[in-house]
Amino acid sequence: MVDAARHPKIDVRTFTNVERVEGYVGNFKVQLREKARHVLADRCNGCGECSKVCPIEVPNYFEMNLAPRKAAYVAMSQSVPLRYTIDENACIHCYKCVDACGALEAIDFSQEDKLIWEDIGSIVVATGFNHFDPSVIPEYGYSRYPNVITAMEMERLNNSAGPTTGNLIRPSDQKNPQRLAIINCVGSRDKRFNPWCSNFCCMYAIKNAVLLKQMNPTLEISIYYMDIRTPSKGYEEFYDRARGMGIRFIQGRPSLITEDPQTKNLFIHSEDITLGKISELEYDMVMLNQAAVPQPDVDSVSSVLNITQSPGGWFMEYHPKLRPVDSPTDGIFLAGACQGLKDIPSSVSSGLATASRAGRILHSDEWEIEPIIAQVWEDRCVMADGKICGVCARACPYGAIIIEEGKAASVTVAKCHGCGGCVAECPHNAITQMHFTDAQVFSQMRALLAENPQEKIFAFRCHWCSYGGADLAGTSHFDYSANERGIRVMCSARMDPDFIYEAFRLGAGAVLYSGCHPQDCHYITGQKVGATRADRLQKLFEKLEMTPGRFRIEWISAAEGDKYSRVINEMQKVIDAIPHEQLMTEIERLKPEMEKRARRMYETPGMDKAVTYSDAMVKAINTKEVKNGA
Amino acid sequence: MEHEKGSTLRDTLIALPGCEKVDMCFSCGTCVSRCPIQQKIEPAYNPRRLLKMIALNMQADSFSSITPYLCSACDLCFEACPQEIHISAILNGVKKLALEAGFSTPLNIAKVDNLTCVGCGFCEKVCPYQAITLKETNVPLRGKNLLIAEVDSGKCMACGACSAICRSNSIELQAREHSEEVIETMWSWLETTEMSAEK
Repeated sequence: MVDAARHPKIDVRTFTNVERVEGYVGNFKVQLREKARHVLADRCNGCGECSKVCPIEVPNYFEMNLAPRKAAYVAMSQSVPLRYTIDENACIHCYKCVDACGALEAIDFSQEDKLIWEDIGSIVVATGFNHFDPSVIPEYGYSRYPNVITAMEMERLNNSAGPTTGNLIRPSDQKNPQRLAIINCVGSRDKRFNPWCSNFCCMYAIKNAVLLKQMNPTLEISIYYMDIRTPSKGYEEFYDRARGMGIRFIQGRPSLITEDPQTKNLFIHSEDITLGKISELEYDMVMLNQAAVPQPDVDSVSSVLNITQSPGGWFMEYHPKLRPVDSPTDGIFLAGACQGLKDIPSSVSSGLATASRAGRILHSDEWEIEPIIAQVWEDRCVMADGKICGVCARACPYGAIIIEEGKAASVTVAKCHGCGGCVAECPHNAITQMHFTDAQVFSQMRALLAENPQEKIFAFRCHWCSYGGADLAGTSHFDYSANERGIRVMCSARMDPDFIYEAFRLGAGAVLYSGCHPQDCHYITGQKVGATRADRLQKLFEKLEMTPGRFRIEWISAAEGDKYSRVINEMQKVIDAIPHEQLMTEIERLKPEMEKRARRMYETPGMDKAVTYSDAMVKAINTKEVKNGA
Repeated sequence: MEHEKGSTLRDTLIALPGCEKVDMCFSCGTCVSRCPIQQKIEPAYNPRRLLKMIALNMQADSFSSITPYLCSACDLCFEACPQEIHISAILNGVKKLALEAGFSTPLNIAKVDNLTCVGCGFCEKVCPYQAITLKETNVPLRGKNLLIAEVDSGKCMACGACSAICRSNSIELQAREHSEEVIETMWSWLETTEMSAEK
């Protein structure tokens, strides 16, 4: 840490908040609030004279409030950079510190918060985690019984730099405890509080037990656990070592802790599930191994940086397996436990990974993006006419679309990932996606449905999942109906209602609307946009009295080739079950309605070329030479 | 291969209201150590073990276990359960299925003496489990038919409240062999609590 602070290219800003982030990958503009510490950072040499003379004492957060600190303080003696701060809320303005500082003149009570804008290339978020407050669990009595302490309090009590210089004493009578219990999963794996497993607590409990046993060999230690999880390298061996040292492991989650009011000893009620018997054992001290939870201000950080959260409040990564340190916004990376709970080796690995990912951006002059971005036809956007719309901005999962009154919507190119949600959602067809324009999709549909469309099953597949599923069905030789005709779009969000209308207008027998499963979407919330639209379409077709099953919504992953073939075969059965005349009359009956609904699509630029192109394509397919593969 | 629906104990049970989370138990033992019945009355009572037996579809063992019959639905375990399983609802569901399958309750439930019951309805009002209903007979009395109390063996928890309130001694718990012993222990318990209160 000291080396980092000394490095010429590393600038450590402490006591500073990130207020706003604007811009995009490589070109972020970040507003920082440098909070007033009432000490001039360039003059303070960290001698600590101000702290010595300060008459005010407040609880020390770093020592888990087990010891006091002064109003003029550093968080801990190893702080980097070593600069004192005057706690505004505690200071009584006696100015003794000013006298003590003397000729250095480092203390400045007139200092105020400073707002500064900085140009930033890439951002790494490493905000970590917080610990769960077990006082909300009434049965464990934390904060009511003095001898029930948390793991972090134990950490300070057991630390040679801590308030007791490493002498383990219990809070009620300052005596050394002889019987200690450690309770695991306090607030974690508990649906009432936090459903997740906090990842490192099992090892943490064992580490603490081994450490305490080494320092106090007469101490009896029992660990209450539900399951001991020791998955990483060397962990199981460490668990074995703890057992060998005589640490007792009791399987069973305690349901109640009671206190003897005279001795302040504690009784833990639990079922020893390996014996199937109730046990009520007496201890001098109990340590609660509490859950790890997200930081309390995680919501404001995620809104400042535009990072989504996964359930529980952890920051969402781009892809859980393949891009675990990238956030969905290009140029912003996630290191350590803010993305999900990690032990030290994993946190270090993710930190190193983010450093190299961020370095890629800093070392390149140009940044390549996918060419499939969205573009706005400014003359078609109603915002330019002063009307209020903003549908596209609401559909964008990346916040790439900027809406200003009186101006056409504009796409921040570097932020666009090309899901096409805005393109399909725009009620005026004022946005197009490069390489997936309405005209291109339209000409593909026309070509594929040129012959006997009533026999065809037309499938819209998303690039990442359903297209892969169809591919797998092919490579695995799963039989499915040869009447299936499919096209690829990037996401189910791009599946414009106009496409579905157009497919039915062209006389398709059935249409499949397929995409990723909701939790697997590669565009954060793209599938949700698509699913909402698909449900709306389904209701519409019900109202128009279309035969049920001709329009079908299915979420198929790239691993579900069997599901893809099954769905297509089922749709074939639906078409086969309808008598030919009835199907034809239904198609004819719906045609005018579909044409009316898809009318806006025909106005989009490039449509005239699409018609000639698809006609040429059909003609080429039908000529003998192409058919024979020449 | 798909299972036939409703073929196993777990499948039948999960369809009952309150029993949806029966699969979620990870055997932490909180319910057992929280349970006053397990600790004060019957050591063989063990809801965790019953949930495991349900998961393994051990139908005969679950139905003949004493656990579903003794639960008083105090729901202390529900409050403490980390998986938010409504254990008393599951126990009640098992009890219902067991009674339907022809198993009888092992409790000494209340029994009505048909010859002396006058159908006053006091027991119906006092029963905390709503186990007593008044049933009409074909015996005429003052222009109407005589009513007689009837005990639902599935609901009765053998607390004895009805027996205490009955004016004609017509409703009693079935077995009374241990009554002397019970009175003795109650006396000794009262004495100790009085003594400790004096302290």
